[in-house]
Amino acid sequence: MSTERFNQISPSEFFYRNRDLAGFSNPTRSLYTAVREFVENSLDACDQKGILPNVKLVIKAEDDRQDPRTYTLAVHDNGPGIPKKHVPLAFGTVLYGSKFGLKQARGMFGLGATMAILYGQITTNKPVKVSSCTDGQTAHIFEILLDIQKNKPVILKQSQKKTKKRGLSVSISLEGDYSKAGSKIRDYIYQTSLITPYASITFEDPKDGKFVYKRILKTMPEPPTIINPHPHGVDVETIRRMIVQSRRDGMSIDTTLYRTLNIKDEDSSYNTVSAQAIKRWKRLKPEQRTAACITNALKCKSKYLQNVIIEDIDLDTNTILYYDGIKSQSKTAPLQNKEPFYNHIKSLLAGEPLLSFLTDRFQRMGPKTAQSFIKFAGFKPEQNIGLLRNADLVKLSDSLQSYEGFLAPNPSCLAPLGESPLEQGMKEFFEPDFQEVIQRGASAYSGFPFIIEMGIAYGGKIQSRGIKTYRFANRIPLLYDEGSDVVLKVVNDIDWSRYKVKHDAPMVIASHICSTRIPYKTVGKENVADRPEIEKELRLAMQFLARRLSSYMSRRGKAEEAKKRANLYAKYMPLISQFCTELAGRSTEPKYIQMLKAGGSDV
Amino acid sequence: MSKKSRAEKKQKEMLEMLKRHGSRVYDDLNRGRFPAFEVPSRSVSNIVYDDALRQYILGNSSAQRSSKNTAQVRSFTQLMWLAFFANRLTHEKKSSTLRDVYYSSQAFAVDFKNQSESNGIIEDLEAVLTKPREEMHIFPEERSSIFGDLDIEYTVPGYEGKRMNLANHPDGYAIGPSLTSAELIDTSAELVIAIEKGGLFTRFVEEQVDKKFKSIIVDTGGQAARSTRTLLKRLHDEMSLPVIILTDGDVYGEHIAMVIKSGSANAAHLRELTVPDAKWVGVWATDIERFELPTIPMTESDIKRCQDLKRDPRYSHGIWRKELDTFLKIKRKAELEAFSKYGLTNITDRYLPQKIELARSL
Repeated sequence: MSTERFNQISPSEFFYRNRDLAGFSNPTRSLYTAVREFVENSLDACDQKGILPNVKLVIKAEDDRQDPRTYTLAVHDNGPGIPKKHVPLAFGTVLYGSKFGLKQARGMFGLGATMAILYGQITTNKPVKVSSCTDGQTAHIFEILLDIQKNKPVILKQSQKKTKKRGLSVSISLEGDYSKAGSKIRDYIYQTSLITPYASITFEDPKDGKFVYKRILKTMPEPPTIINPHPHGVDVETIRRMIVQSRRDGMSIDTTLYRTLNIKDEDSSYNTVSAQAIKRWKRLKPEQRTAACITNALKCKSKYLQNVIIEDIDLDTNTILYYDGIKSQSKTAPLQNKEPFYNHIKSLLAGEPLLSFLTDRFQRMGPKTAQSFIKFAGFKPEQNIGLLRNADLVKLSDSLQSYEGFLAPNPSCLAPLGESPLEQGMKEFFEPDFQEVIQRGASAYSGFPFIIEMGIAYGGKIQSRGIKTYRFANRIPLLYDEGSDVVLKVVNDIDWSRYKVKHDAPMVIASHICSTRIPYKTVGKENVADRPEIEKELRLAMQFLARRLSSYMSRRGKAEEAKKRANLYAKYMPLISQFCTELAGRSTEPKYIQMLKAGGSDV
Repeated sequence: MSKKSRAEKKQKEMLEMLKRHGSRVYDDLNRGRFPAFEVPSRSVSNIVYDDALRQYILGNSSAQRSSKNTAQVRSFTQLMWLAFFANRLTHEKKSSTLRDVYYSSQAFAVDFKNQSESNGIIEDLEAVLTKPREEMHIFPEERSSIFGDLDIEYTVPGYEGKRMNLANHPDGYAIGPSLTSAELIDTSAELVIAIEKGGLFTRFVEEQVDKKFKSIIVDTGGQAARSTRTLLKRLHDEMSLPVIILTDGDVYGEHIAMVIKSGSANAAHLRELTVPDAKWVGVWATDIERFELPTIPMTESDIKRCQDLKRDPRYSHGIWRKELDTFLKIKRKAELEAFSKYGLTNITDRYLPQKIELARSL
């Protein structure tokens, strides 16, 4: 079976049939999930570019019916925007994504958001409206429907207008139930603001409520570096996707080929380019060779290349499938059996050698490690990854899991919030008498690095009786399925009386787990499973905070004691003085005033 | 020493004692020190029976009540106030009651939660001074009565020097502050009969028991109040009168007699409330059979009380032990009124003479 077949299953179709899995099971849950996906996309986009996020969420009822009814859900951000040529694919296909690298992000870009768009389209038959501006000058406006069977965007309208604001606005119509989902959505926005203190978030709800969470601090946490996956953390499916990506990367086009070939004019014909390319073939780099192949196959001018994205190549039918950025649609072209172009295309499909695939696309995989691993796994370094069969992939995956020669995962791909922002966020939100935060060092489970951050706040303006726990994973608040979560387990396991904390103390705990993969228990992604490594780190963080709180409680106890003592003395010493003066038959009272000032601190 | 100076001497002693404590507190405050009292512990573990004194007394353990301790400064102040208040009472020869003390405190911004708290502080001060509250002019509410040929002379303000014979009024005289503090001048009586019940007290007066048996009759009104016990002690000590006690024929009656004789654990911090030579003459458990008295069965709590008292060292011997055992054996009890079965005067005509005779031989 040729390896590209799996790519032809329509993911839209799949998700349409399995939308429950993605959190779109009913109007209540769907409205909440759609909000989450859009807000998280906006925050992620800003994070990646180091932009202090301004996010505005608006939900409006489209009619006066009872819930569930049709709502308009719109999210506006000041992020980098999406380049015009990518907009239709980003919003009009499912599983479109430009990255297979590994770094912590709230979710994979596009997947959840396009699911929301798909859900909106299914329930209301209305298109998604997108306005994207990447340069702060021109906004590109689209109305797009999704062809579910073909997994292709259908552009209904397209226009552009002048603007001064960079950023992305997305608006969909969907069936929802705000009267039921409202409290969760408000909680979600509230908690998101807590864990994103550098963002300014506004929410206008359908009942004319306006919730504004202003930016608390103006420094962004360090953006995570994109790093390759750790070999222990990949499965067969991931390897498959990495191979596809490797091939896609191999199909990248150097649009400046004409310069290398000393052709002055971008408008020169494909014949000129092809001839020059053949002459200099041996000196051309792979992406330059690919550019020559495409120019030849499409019979196009060099200038056109910048609008082309190669999507697939099928050697059975000798066709090339590509995306035309000018017309915003996919097209095919026949592939000529002409050397050296044909051979180059074949080598593109065969993919890179296993050795370079491993060293380029995995962390902790230097040439030496890769060599010994390949030997361990029973492969050859020069094998082309594009030609690996299914059984080979399983064997490769199993070997990656079981080989013990890799260093522990590199945590630089994680983006914890940081102690100081977390502390400031909690301070602003809860105005407590006491608070403390901790960020534990990086640790790893099953090849996935993770970092635990935790904060505790006590007293002050906290009204709750008992411990209120806010759970976050990769800066996403987890609101559902609280009971079975590992964080709750750790919090509940603590014997608070040992830390001088009463059962009904006004107290808030915020726990943040950052990982390239959060081990969720369920597909709903609302509760974290109790992996021993994670539980241990949570416990250590919790105990640290509890000890700090405990010593605060002691100090506070002493201070209160002193105050109480002073009050008592102030009340009773004058009486004692008055009584003993008469008893002793004296006319003046004793000089006890100094004792009140000392507050009984002498012995 | 003249009888008249006795009350004055007591008053002077009390005032000096209070002044001494007051001065000590005053000096402590003046030197910037937190004053404290040593309060003998009145907890059960510190109450021991003294064979020589034939009463319960406090052991050696005591607790410091310090004004420095935040948990104690309030009760220290209460104690100081009480001393201050007792000083005024004693000085001005005014009387107060437990309840009156409780309410008076409010005028001085000294707060007691309830009367039992103020009662506790009064006992604390008694323990500190080792003097009964009556000497600080604080008396119980309940009044018992006395009747018989006894001349007294009041010492309370307005009545100083005034004399009274206690046989002049057939209802008897209430044993209140003025009577308790009065000087005992003279009597023709040769015996004091303490009786548990007001009804029988009236009967005894009507039957002229005071004359027939040359006696002073005291109604203890159930468990004898401390002022009553003080008066009984003074009749015994100052007038050299033997004291006999008549109670109901049950375990509670037996204990009423015991408390008059050797005090209660509650007052283990005081030494002047007992009449060790007082004799309980009836109604005994053995009398029930002897006089064929109508009876009622003992209740569970009666039986439990018997067993509790058997653990008290004072009940470990003699008649006290014997009667307890008999009660436990027959499991029946009789009231003093049981004698009415044989006529209203049967108790004075027949039972009492036998018992007085018996008392002489004890």
